[in-house]
This record gives sequence, C-alpha cells and structure tokens, in this order.
Amino acid sequence: MSDFKFQGACWTVGDYIPTDQIIKSHRFFLPMAEIAKFVLEDENPRFAAGVQRGDVLVAGRHFGQSSGRAIAVKALQATGISCIVAESFARTFYRNAFEVGLPIVEIPGIGAAVREGDVLAVDVPGGEVAIERTGVALRGPRTDPFLLDMLRAGGVIAIGSRLAGSP
Amino acid sequence: MNLVESILARASGRKSVEPGEIVIAEVDRMIMHDLSGYMTARVYDEKVSKPLKHPDRVIMVFDHLFSPPREQEAEVLKSGREWAAKYGIRLLDCGNGNIHNAVARNGFIGPGMVVVGSDSHTPVHGALGAFAVAVGNDCHAGMVFPHGKAWFRVPSTVRIELSGTLRAGTTPRDVALWLVSRIGEDGAVYKALEFGGPFIEALGLFDRWLFPLITVDVGAKCGYIEPDEKVFEFARAANAMQCWSGLEIAPRHERRPEAVLTYDVSSIEPQVACPPTVGNVKPVSEVAGKSVQWAEIGGHGGGRVEDIRMLAQVLGGKSVHPAVRLNVVPSSRAVFKQALDEGLVQVLHAAGALWFPPSTGSNQSVNMGAMAAGEAMISTHSRNFPGRNGSADASMYLGSALTVAASALRGCLTDVREML
Repeated sequence: MSDFKFQGACWTVGDYIPTDQIIKSHRFFLPMAEIAKFVLEDENPRFAAGVQRGDVLVAGRHFGQSSGRAIAVKALQATGISCIVAESFARTFYRNAFEVGLPIVEIPGIGAAVREGDVLAVDVPGGEVAIERTGVALRGPRTDPFLLDMLRAGGVIAIGSRLAGSP
Repeated sequence: MNLVESILARASGRKSVEPGEIVIAEVDRMIMHDLSGYMTARVYDEKVSKPLKHPDRVIMVFDHLFSPPREQEAEVLKSGREWAAKYGIRLLDCGNGNIHNAVARNGFIGPGMVVVGSDSHTPVHGALGAFAVAVGNDCHAGMVFPHGKAWFRVPSTVRIELSGTLRAGTTPRDVALWLVSRIGEDGAVYKALEFGGPFIEALGLFDRWLFPLITVDVGAKCGYIEPDEKVFEFARAANAMQCWSGLEIAPRHERRPEAVLTYDVSSIEPQVACPPTVGNVKPVSEVAGKSVQWAEIGGHGGGRVEDIRMLAQVLGGKSVHPAVRLNVVPSSRAVFKQALDEGLVQVLHAAGALWFPPSTGSNQSVNMGAMAAGEAMISTHSRNFPGRNGSADASMYLGSALTVAASALRGCLTDVREML
C-alpha cells in the first residue's frame, strides 16, 4: 500500500517482551530465512508457523525492551509482516525499526481492542488504526517526518551520507 | 542547557539545542563487544562501501566470550580480530573485563564525550559525565563508521534527587533496583535521567555507576551524574579529559527539567529483582527461603571491587553452602589486581568461591552460567528474563553483593540483615 498504509490480519503478543524473546541469541548464526521460523517462539508459537506476508503484529507495552540488538527487528522483518502496532515500544527497538526500514506505530489502547486474527487498517504516518470487526478506530502520535523519510529510503544506511552532510 | 544538551550542542556545532530537536552529532567514542561487533562488522562489510572515518574512536571488547567453548564461537572471535586489524581499530581481547568497565578503566571514556554502543547498557557511561546512548548496528554501520556521526533526538530530562542514609545491609545497588520498581519499566521512555542529590554526591564513581546502568530498564535514553572532582580525578588519571571543554552548562537553578522525582533512601530494605523482568522488584525479606544452586558476582554492573569486598565481608572464614556454586567474575583486570592486593582472592577461595576471568560472566550464558530447568541463581547481573540463562524454566534473581553472599552461605535467598 502507498506511503505506509497497510491492511492485514493481526497476530498478538503481550506486554514487556524483551528482544531476547523476539529471537533467542543461540539462533543468531542461522541464515535470516531460518531465523524467521523462530521469531517469538515462546511468546506466540502460532505466529512464526502461520504468519502471511502483509500480516500485522500487535504488541503490548514496552515491546522490544532489554538488549538493543537490531537483529530482533530484522528477524521480525524477515517474517514478512507489514508493520507492528504496540501500546508502546522500547526506545532502542523503536530506533532500530526505523533504521532498518520496518514501519511501526504506537497506538495506546490497541491491546484491549483487538483479537488475534482481526483485520486492521494501519496508517503509520498518521498514527491511526481501524479494526474491521468492531469498526473502532484508535489514534496515537503521528510519526515524525524525519523517521518517515528514513522509512521511505529503506533505512538509515541509505541516507547516512545525506544526514552526515558528507559524500 | 543541562549536561546532555550542552554536549549535543557542542557535538552538532550548534549554539544551543532544545528537547525534541533532531541533531546530527560527532561521535567521540563507539564501543562494541564480541557479539554486537560481529554483527555490526557484517552489516558494514555487506552494505556500506565507504572507509571507516575515525578508526581511533572505535573500540571492540571481547567480553561475552573469555575462552570460546566451540568452534563457532572461535570463528566469531577470529573474524572480530581480523576485522579489527583490517580497519586499525583497538581490540581488548578476551579476559580484559566486561565492555563497559574495560573501556572506562582503559581511559576510553571521559566527561563531555558522545559515546555510542550497541550494548543496551551503554548509558552507564553517564556516570563519568558522558552523553552515552545505545544505538543499533545499522546506525553504527551507516553513519558512525563512514562519517563519525550519529543522529539523536534531544531528550527531555527528568531529575532524580536522592537523599538520606542507607540502613545496614542496604547497598547502592538495592537503591537502584528499588528505583526501577518506583519509576516502572516503561516509566521514563526516551528521557534523559539526571541523578543527583546528597546521596549520589557522597558515592564513589563505581557506586554511582549503578544508577545510569538502570536507565535502559525504565525505558530511558540515557542517564548521567554531573561530573565532580571524584570523576575528574579518575578521568585525569585515565587521560580522558579531552572532551570536557566548550560546554555551556547552566547552573542548576536556571535549568528546567521536565520533572523532578525526590526520594529518601533511608528506609529502603535489601531488594531483589525476581523473574520474569528487571522491574519485578521485591524486598528480599518477601522471597527469602527460595533455594538457589548458583550465585554470582559479575555483569555490567557487578564484579566491582566494592562487590568483591562485600562478598568477603560476609563469607570470610565461612564456607559456601554445599549445594551452591559461587562464581566470582571481576569486571576488569584492574579489579582482579585490586582483589589480589587486598587479599580478597585468598579469602574467597578459602570460602569455596570459584574465580572466573574478567568478562561479562554469565550474561546470556554465552560462555558460562546456563541453568537446568528448576534451578535458580542469585547474582549482581542486570537481566533476569526467562531463557537468558539456559532453561526458560530456570530463575534468575538480581540483588546486591551482600544478598548474593548471604544466599550463597545459606543455600537460599536470604536477607543479609539476619547475619549482620
């Protein structure tokens, strides 16, 4: 979909999930396609087995806390999800997501409003989510234009020179 | 401007900065460990085709591995060594200590610096008056390596003012753990935490260390203590004062933090963070009696000489409980030397403790510290998520060195005040 507006069925996980639980450290040395099969293996074993390209992950509070490893974001990206919606994100996870080009958006109240499998329409720039089953629409903060610019470029590496103001 | 605002203004070539602004700042020091270094090097080699701009500002420390247990880990270290040699960056190889203590002890961190690292406890260097932030591999590979810069949103600042005197049996680490439960695991997301007040000012550098250490656990971007003569003395001895100039820090009465949180530490009991998260903090007295098979002094905030002294204070002349293995992991070579000089190695050896090389010890059980289902450990580590140390059905408890010592003696979680 255009400019980071997505529609897809959702998978749900709870509050305070550390990056250790997104992908365990003993999986790091596998190829990324293999790593994708173990994402959230303890938190929601259905997810890696059933996720379809374009699905949405819905998480609770402070998603991606603890270690700031970017591989947690890259492993989620490798599952084919379009974006992540959470009550809130840990700051290293938030930063890493935009830096590797995975759209994410903070929507307070999302945890209680959705059931796994609900179809969501997610507007990342506008900070909005509409839930098809209930007709409920929820709002969070709009996404910073600086971060949207990074997403459009596909991550920080693509615009590193421009940001640094050097060739 | 406060300390982090003035550092960011200086590093981004601006007269002043405001919370919420995005700045591109010159990075004075970038640190990475064996695991993050391996992954960052891979991203850089695969996706970035520009030379590394300031190799002298990058430090790699092998700390999760002190001696590779398998070929796979040996390969990780070999490729790290080759990468460091290829780009001319400084490597502190196995046995130098955990990343943060090793770089601080070796003079790579000083007041006023912009410090980045992929380890999430990088903000600990705020104890030395640095603006220190954890950022990801792609930022290191795409900005710090080729350009010597990184982007930052200027954080708003919350001041945490601590006063009072500790009760016997309560240590600065108990205060830090207690603060995590007070502030909450997502209670300070994106903030800078300024720790101050008479309690903080009276602490030595490596006791202050424990406060910026916890900022990640409450969601904050960084934490710091305004450097004073104690810090300057350490930094001068380490020859690390080069960034402490050109900063325009306003006097405290002119600054307007977003909030000021004031706490009295005088009634805090010994605390322990129980599984499954660092925020699940309880007084030790509430969970006393839970049996432990492992006890450890080590980790990014542990393994200080202060911790080893506390261990010896409780265990001297006694023996570790036969059902417990007590591991002691000095945070750096300097700390091990100090423990040798003070006779602590001998005292703890006689009590049955096992000495390990300076490293991160059982952090993530990369080189040691895996537990079987049903086992439990009490340690001075910084993380207790299930599955981080072996079985997801094992339990990690985080407490002070006094609590580790008392529990190792009794074979179960113990409130040290029963022994004082």
